[in-house]
Amino acid sequence: MASITINGKKYEVDDNITVLEACRKMGIDIPTLCYDDRLEPHAACRLCLVEVKGKGKLETSCSLKVKDGMVIETHSERVMKTRKEILDLLFSNHPNDCLTCDKSGACKLQDYCFEYGVEMGTYEGEKKDYPMDYSNHFYTYDPNKCILCGKCVRVCSELQCTDAIGLEKRGFKTKVTTPFDLGLATSNCVSCGNCVAACPVGALMPKRKERFRLWEVERVKTTCSYCGVGCQLELLVKGNKVVGVEPAKGKANNGLLCVKGRFGYSFINHPDRLKTPLIKKDGKFVEASWEEAYRLIVSKINEIKDKNGPEAFAGLTSARCTNEENYLFQKLFRAVIGTNNVDHCARL
Amino acid sequence: MENVTLTIDGIRVTVPEDYYIIEAAKKVGIEIPALCYDPNLEVVGACRICLVEIEGRNKLEASCSTRVREGMVVHTESEKVVAMRREILQLLLDNHPNDCLTCQKAGECLLQAYAYRYDVKFREHDGARRPNYVDTSSPYILKDDSKCILCGKCVRTCAQVHDRKVLSFAGRGFDTRIVADADFTLEESTCVSCNRCVTVCPVGALVDKRLLGKTRVWDSHIKGVKCKACDYGCNFEVISKKGKNIAVRAKAPSEGRPLCLKGRLTTEFLYVDEPETPYKKVDGKFVEASWKEALGLDGVFEKLLQEENSK
Repeated sequence: MASITINGKKYEVDDNITVLEACRKMGIDIPTLCYDDRLEPHAACRLCLVEVKGKGKLETSCSLKVKDGMVIETHSERVMKTRKEILDLLFSNHPNDCLTCDKSGACKLQDYCFEYGVEMGTYEGEKKDYPMDYSNHFYTYDPNKCILCGKCVRVCSELQCTDAIGLEKRGFKTKVTTPFDLGLATSNCVSCGNCVAACPVGALMPKRKERFRLWEVERVKTTCSYCGVGCQLELLVKGNKVVGVEPAKGKANNGLLCVKGRFGYSFINHPDRLKTPLIKKDGKFVEASWEEAYRLIVSKINEIKDKNGPEAFAGLTSARCTNEENYLFQKLFRAVIGTNNVDHCARL
Repeated sequence: MENVTLTIDGIRVTVPEDYYIIEAAKKVGIEIPALCYDPNLEVVGACRICLVEIEGRNKLEASCSTRVREGMVVHTESEKVVAMRREILQLLLDNHPNDCLTCQKAGECLLQAYAYRYDVKFREHDGARRPNYVDTSSPYILKDDSKCILCGKCVRTCAQVHDRKVLSFAGRGFDTRIVADADFTLEESTCVSCNRCVTVCPVGALVDKRLLGKTRVWDSHIKGVKCKACDYGCNFEVISKKGKNIAVRAKAPSEGRPLCLKGRLTTEFLYVDEPETPYKKVDGKFVEASWKEALGLDGVFEKLLQEENSK
């Protein structure tokens, strides 16, 4: 344990954590743009700077480990002034279009500018001017809104392990890009959208089929239905329609999703989607109740079993089922129907 | 009253003959954008955003002030209508500061909502802009003239309570401004800080100053409550962030409810975890007051005791 002082108050904390982690545990809000608890500290955005007694310069709290006897100021005048300056520099090189930007409402740059009273970028001069990359089917990339926190690159490399994007060039010309700047469509990108979820600003944005603002949607937490992993996600619901998906932090996925769970949601409101079982009557499928469908299945199973014996059956389950559902399925085949003819699609 | 049947965007709708097109459209779920229209206020047809195309008429008509007619065929989102709305929005934006980044109204601003809906953005120009006059004199209302779009809702709602009528238009054309009394600051004027004007302002020109900088709409939880100060039962909203009640604001008045400062402060005192100091206007100056004073509770207990004793 280490005994540290934050803003004049003494705290006892674990000695292997960073100052940022210690502050967050104590409920002290420190702004960060490049920090993500799933990634290695990067100390790129410099917003998490704090004043440590005895050190001449301000230190980035995300990469500074606590030490016994440390005296930290998180919101001193000097720290506030520096953070304001950093935000001013960032916004000076950022398009001023919160009016219609789709990220508005969930943009960290916007949040911190509001919190620190940075109303405009005061630095005049050159601004980034790159073309947008629309080439990916599922998301867009606007390098002009990028603040170079590098989260997308690190998520792609450290968590997704795809390494489709990287930072190129130096200084003002630094840019997140694909190999040889050939665009996202030709890169290794698997369209998982985990970079999009990590982006704190509007540089990486999902392509939308509906127009909505983030404050208009209700978030409904649910489990992804595509496979048995059980990734947690949030459905963005506007009115009575699912208009988007964002990953949630669950035990199974820790804020990550794959392309299906992340972007394959339009089936939910599709008019062709089956909502009731269909039973074929006189050569035509007609809607039926579940009760009716189960009755039919049971009577057919009994009929076939009486006529041809249990070995006439074979069952194959889906990877979209959970372990529990698969267990019950094989139980149904072995114990109820009486055959070992049961398999799973993932074994093929 | 007779009913008439008309067609709006291909949908047939039957409504009483004194309905305006915008009301008939709302009945079938068509939301026509409007900045100056408010069902609780007198119709003025000022903002022109609600323009619609009516078959057989040459010019576009304001749907907030055009009555329905039998057999009318209305198009609310035709190419011509959308082009005109975009033009109007662009002109409004040309004369509006680009500061949604930190504007208190962002998220609830109608100009922002319609600019998004019709994909209109700010543009660079070297023309004149509204003067950047911000009235900070009141501890309750922040009036920012540069953001005003002159819809006049504030003037109309202020005039609905007969002893108020503080706000009015001054100047003409480009120089038109909303002023309090004879162009006084809100502090010097007869404004009673009821915040009716704040509740109807579609943009960030009139905002609740006690909310300023505390939260953004999308970060907060809003719960409606009824005022307990008198029998009118005006509607207020308690705004909370991270489980803490941080402010109370007035909800648009309706059904003859007047709204008042005393009611708002009472609600603040009842709900807000750390209420700010109340202010009282004394001889055209806002002075800090005690809660007892602000809520009109001075001497109440003494009076009650006296009444009790005299029985």
